Amino acid sequence: MGVPFEALLPYGIMIGMFAFTGGALGQLRWMQNGRKRPRHGLDIWDQVMMQRDRRLTGFARGQTDKAEAPAGFELNNPWKVEYRFF
Amino acid sequence: MASRQPRFNQQNLIDTTPLPEEIPKVKELGATSAPLLSASYFIGARCKAYNDDYMMCKTDANGRGELECLKEGRKVTRCAASVIDDINKHCLAEFRGHWQCLENYNHQLWNCRSAERKLNKCVFDNLKLEKTIPDTPKGETPVHLKKHMIFARNV
Repeated sequence: MGVPFEALLPYGIMIGMFAFTGGALGQLRWMQNGRKRPRHGLDIWDQVMMQRDRRLTGFARGQTDKAEAPAGFELNNPWKVEYRFF
Repeated sequence: MASRQPRFNQQNLIDTTPLPEEIPKVKELGATSAPLLSASYFIGARCKAYNDDYMMCKTDANGRGELECLKEGRKVTRCAASVIDDINKHCLAEFRGHWQCLENYNHQLWNCRSAERKLNKCVFDNLKLEKTIPDTPKGETPVHLKKHMIFARNV
């Protein structure tokens, strides 16, 4: 008395749906990270370096290996200020 | 009316006033995080004296030193830029291979040892800069020279 294959069809559908959504979300995250694996476990240093990357390239995951920064880079560093300064 | 630029952000103030003329200019370093991490040990190898100078200046200034240490800071920036420039000239393919691997593997050096070995060899042959990890215990193989990284995805 084996299990009829009709009993296993729902499980196949469930596994397939979970696999599809998982893969699709992973792919989306990969694309959002500039076609690279996402960063994880970031500490403050990593975060400020990524902000610097954004200031240099316009994208937090953008990378460039030029020795000299583009013009205006030294002036586009934002100051964190309170309301009373505006 | 409306002679002031509108500001829509309540926390970030971007002040585009340039530095005063009496402060000498220096071109900022243009490399981003992954290339900097990849070149960090070579920057350390060439620029140790300048970096130590700068850190000593900051220590001696007792928490101040933004203006006092500008001269040392310019030397640090120029030296690091010279290292990046030299690596770009001589070892661009190996350099890119390494930092793109780092960028793909969460900036974990132990995941990119094969690319790193090529880069270290090229930089040592062309620029005579060697990666040394400070304060490695005596008689122990430094971690970047070990043959096998146990948890690395790509050897």
